[in-house]
Order: sequence, then C-alpha cells, then structure tokens
Amino acid sequence: MAALILMISTGLFFFYLQVLCQKILRRQFAQEFSQSIVNANRLEFPSVRKAIEELGTSMEYPRLALTLKCDFLALTYLLKNAANVNQKYSYEERLLIVYFKVVFAAMFSRHLLKLREAPAALKLTAILEYFANVVGERVNTVRFGNLTASDYLLNL
Amino acid sequence: MSDLLLTRGLQYAGYVVEAILCLLLIWQGRWRRLRVLCLYVAALFLLDGVARSASLSFFGQRSPQYYYFYWVTDVALALGAFLLVCGFFYRAFAKDEKRWSFVRLLLPSVFVIVLGVSALSITRNYANLYTVFIIEFSQNLYFSCLVLNTLLYVMIQQLEIQDDELGLLVCGLGVQFAGEAAGLALVHVTLGQAFSQILFGLLNPVCTLGMLFIWMYAIGKSPQAVAAGRRLGKGAALQEAVVTR
Repeated sequence: MAALILMISTGLFFFYLQVLCQKILRRQFAQEFSQSIVNANRLEFPSVRKAIEELGTSMEYPRLALTLKCDFLALTYLLKNAANVNQKYSYEERLLIVYFKVVFAAMFSRHLLKLREAPAALKLTAILEYFANVVGERVNTVRFGNLTASDYLLNL
Repeated sequence: MSDLLLTRGLQYAGYVVEAILCLLLIWQGRWRRLRVLCLYVAALFLLDGVARSASLSFFGQRSPQYYYFYWVTDVALALGAFLLVCGFFYRAFAKDEKRWSFVRLLLPSVFVIVLGVSALSITRNYANLYTVFIIEFSQNLYFSCLVLNTLLYVMIQQLEIQDDELGLLVCGLGVQFAGEAAGLALVHVTLGQAFSQILFGLLNPVCTLGMLFIWMYAIGKSPQAVAAGRRLGKGAALQEAVVTR
C-alpha cells in the first residue's frame, strides 16, 4: 500500500510541477516580442517547430538536439545579460531553465528508446519562445520605459 | 548535524514566508477575496511557526506534552487543509448549481469515509487509542486532500474554467500534499531507515516553501493585471505589468 502511495504521490508531485511550468509558459505578452529576438540572433527553434507542426517530422536527432541546445544557451545568456539591470534570473526563469533541462533529458531518453521525439521538442520550442518573448519585452521596456514611441522621440 | 541545521533553516524560512504571505494578503486587501486561504496561512503560521516552537522550547523535544501537542496541531492543520480544498471547490463551482450540489454531497462523504477508515485503525491497537487514531486520521485526511485537489484540477481543465489564480493555488497545494505524501510513504517503504527520515525531514519544509512561493506568485501576478485592466484598459494593463516586473 505504501509503495503504491509512494508511486502515485511522486507522480503527482512532478505532475504539479509541470502544471506550474505550463501555467508560466501560458503567460500572454502585450505583443509578439520573440520575432525580433529570433531574427537578430538567428535562432532556429521556430523552424524546428514549423517542421514538426506542418510536416510532422523533425530533423535528425543530433542536429535537432544541437539546434535546441544552442538556442537555449543563447537565450539564457540574453536573459541574464540583455537589458537586465540585476543580471540575475528571476525565479520563474530559473524554474523554466530546470524544466528545459528535464524535458531535454526526456527527449534524449525517448531517442534512446526509439520513441518519437517530436512532443518533447515542441515543449522545448515553447520554452524557448517564452524566453525570447521575455528578452524582447525587456529590451522594449528599456528602450521606451513608460513612454510611447512618440513621447520618446519628442524627448530626444 | 548538517541535515538538521538545513532542515531547521528551511523550517524557519518557511515561517518567515508564511508571515510575509499573510501580511501581503492583508496589506493588499486580498483577504476579502481569499478568506479561506488567508485563514489557512494564518493558522499555518500560528500553529506550526509560533505554537509548536513555543511548545518545543517549553516542554522539550522528547516530552509527551510536545508529542501530543504536535499531533493535535497536525490534525487541526489537516482539517484546515480540507476546508481550504472545500473553499477552492466552492470558488470553482459556486456559479454552477448542478455541479456544486454534487460537490456539496461529495466533500462531506469523503470526510465521513476518512473518519470511518481511521476509526478502524483503533481496532488494531487498543493500547494507544488516542495517538493511533490522531496520526492515522491526519495522514488519511492529507492523502484524501491530495486526491480531492487533483480531482479539482482535472475538473477545472475539463470544464475549461478560466481562473488562472485558482489554477495556481490548486497547483501549489498539490505540490505540498504530493511531496509530503511521497516522503511519508518513502519512510514506510524503507521501514524508517535513516536516509529516508532525513529526506522526509528536508522534503517537508521544501514542499511547504514551494507551496508558499507558488501562492505568492499566484496572488502577486494575476489580480494586479486584472485591476489595472479595469482602470486603464487591456493594453495599458499589460504595459503596467511589464514596467512593474
């Protein structure tokens, strides 16, 4: 009985942590900030997502893993250093970084077990898009603060 | 020794966060909307943080007085958690008369079943009626809270109830209950080996801290944007949320 409770409650514990991460990822941004960051840094995760969503297949695993890992490193660097006065991750960002690593490990194990990696890859692209949105939003806030674009130009 | 220090440190951090959350709820006037949550956090702080610590320093760790006091307060907190879950159910289904009438029947039934199952445990041990019943009852009640909380989360998802704050509050409670239940089950499975007891000792305050931080996030995030949205319109609310981040 105790073993059963242990399995159920451990499963539920990780389930609730995943729910929390998904809730953070569902945050609505004022506009699509990620696109400018993706273009400026030549990030590749949107093309990975497009390939999975439209064609149902992704690139071969080593390339997929490397692409997502490189985007992750670039975006986490930007999260910490771009328009971030404290140069620290927030708690949400820390949690999502851990979540990314866990999902990445899950994708690797799926690959080893010869299961489809696409669902895990889609989750990873969602996390990367959130990071890109946060960076874009910060850059946008620093550029204009409380001012509108016209206020900013008038004050120059 | 170091694990004991770490456990104590985490416990005291938990008390501080409980007090901050309580003040935050009162200061921002959120206690009117989240009365049950506010009462639960206050009870957690007063019973777990203040009363137990006072009892520990007054009677000592190995005294029977502290032992009884600890388990009595544990039952009180388990009952508080059950009422909190009931409060979350009410918030989710108060406007849906049909479902609320079902839930109103379900919740007392679960409570009566837990009481009955716990009473059965007395028959196995006549020597220590009071403590056996109390420990069994509080553990069963916590586990049924975990099941009810998960049921509530599934129902929220199925019925597509758009209440992000409630979702996060339920999620926080789930982390606490699931972590605690897993730790306790591990102690039972390993027959109380030292490493499992140390793990349980650490897991418990970590899960409490996790729950409190998730609640803080839930309370601090969504209503601010809603309130600002009412004042200034949606676009301005989002801009304000960006600036205050």
